Amino acid sequence: MLVRRAIFGFSPALALGFFLLTCATCTRAESAAIPHGTLELVAENQWIAAGHDFNLGLHFELESGWHIYWINPGDSGEPPRVKWELPAGVTAGALQWPTPRRLGTPSIVDFGYQDAVTLIVPMHAKRNLGLGEPAKIAAQVKVLVCREMCIPGSAQLSLVLPVKTESPAPDARTRNLFMAARKSLPRPAPTNWKFNLDEEKDSFVLTANVGHEITQANFFPIAESQISNAAAQKLAPSAAGFRLTLQKSDQLLKPIERLKGVLALADGRAYLIDVLVSKTGAAKS
Amino acid sequence: MKRLMLYSILIALLPCTAAKLFSAAKVGEAAPEFTATASDGKSYRLADYRGKYVVLEWHNNGCPYVGKHYKSGNMQRLQKEWIGRGVAWFTILSSAPGQQGYVTASEENEYVRKMQAAPTAALLDPTGQVGHLYDAKTSPQMIVINPQGVVIYDGAIDDKPTTDLEDVPGATNYVSLALEQAMAGKQVATTTTRPYGCSVKYGDRTR
Repeated sequence: MLVRRAIFGFSPALALGFFLLTCATCTRAESAAIPHGTLELVAENQWIAAGHDFNLGLHFELESGWHIYWINPGDSGEPPRVKWELPAGVTAGALQWPTPRRLGTPSIVDFGYQDAVTLIVPMHAKRNLGLGEPAKIAAQVKVLVCREMCIPGSAQLSLVLPVKTESPAPDARTRNLFMAARKSLPRPAPTNWKFNLDEEKDSFVLTANVGHEITQANFFPIAESQISNAAAQKLAPSAAGFRLTLQKSDQLLKPIERLKGVLALADGRAYLIDVLVSKTGAAKS
Repeated sequence: MKRLMLYSILIALLPCTAAKLFSAAKVGEAAPEFTATASDGKSYRLADYRGKYVVLEWHNNGCPYVGKHYKSGNMQRLQKEWIGRGVAWFTILSSAPGQQGYVTASEENEYVRKMQAAPTAALLDPTGQVGHLYDAKTSPQMIVINPQGVVIYDGAIDDKPTTDLEDVPGATNYVSLALEQAMAGKQVATTTTRPYGCSVKYGDRTR
């Protein structure tokens, strides 16, 4: 919907639209229905360049109040899963997950997305990918869509992209979508930020030294069953950053070596962090 | 008993803070006592089942994860098999009135009849009291209690956290595994897992 409307938005895109109408094998995005929403497979570029990386995106649009899940769904639900059918010479990387939001209730907390979300998928085309013949990329997506109740859905999507030798040109129709998707991804934490993770009996204490006071932080664990999803994360701001107390999950039975996740700060800034459990802290417990 | 009743009243009044005020059931510790009314109109007390293994199954008939185990006949088969081996099996419905999955006694009886389910009883828990005592987060979350009244398993029904019916046959069922091992006098190997499924629809939901 969004993408198609954009075709008529400005004149270079209009020209492209004309071009597409006359070009049977060019980029085609198909939108499929999922429970209470739609799912579209979109490409960032107009064609695939053999020997190059390229990006596809799974763009979900959901009716108001409905949500899908992050890679770690939290206390309930499950993330969308994709099964690719790719031409020989094309490989798919792992889905890139935008920073989620906390959903649910005081006692049961899930991590996911409402309204709309685009999951970028980095792809690679080998040098020997056949020229001349367009590449058909198909994906079978299974997704659980929930509000008060959950409805499992599945969608079969496909996209046909020309294969060329020249560098790929961006597709104006999906430019904004990919720009927004990139903005919503957590970034690597600045290298001068220092983190420390101390283990206590019932909690982990994450200390951040970032050179300035931080008064708002929320941690989303990538792995399930490490910290309690519902427990309040107690933040103690400090001159150089903060201390954040994360209650352990009842399902955490073995010691962990590291805690990986997304640290969401104020103004939508979010960073990927991977912190080793400090040895001295572990010895205490 | 008096204290338990006081706790019960408090929990009923404060469903949103109950989970935080009182520590919930933990594997290796005594299973919290409760009394609940079932869809058959009778009252069931956990304490009356000391000496037996007890399985608690959190249920919501609109949840596709629960649907997987009922449409495949897996849950009914487990109920029949284990009750046949002396286990008491309680299906527990903790959806609050007005929330998805809330049913009346007669609606639940109709569901049990239609699905040919065979629990010892289906306990109606509209206040979420039992759910919060066990910190039940999902349907179908499963708890196994041994004859001494100690929780020996808390978590998922099996190792396939999906809604796909075809995942049932190849799955490792943690409830059966815990019961088999405990009955054979062995240590239960897997005592705690992430309970997959739909969130339990307690009355603390804001919608």
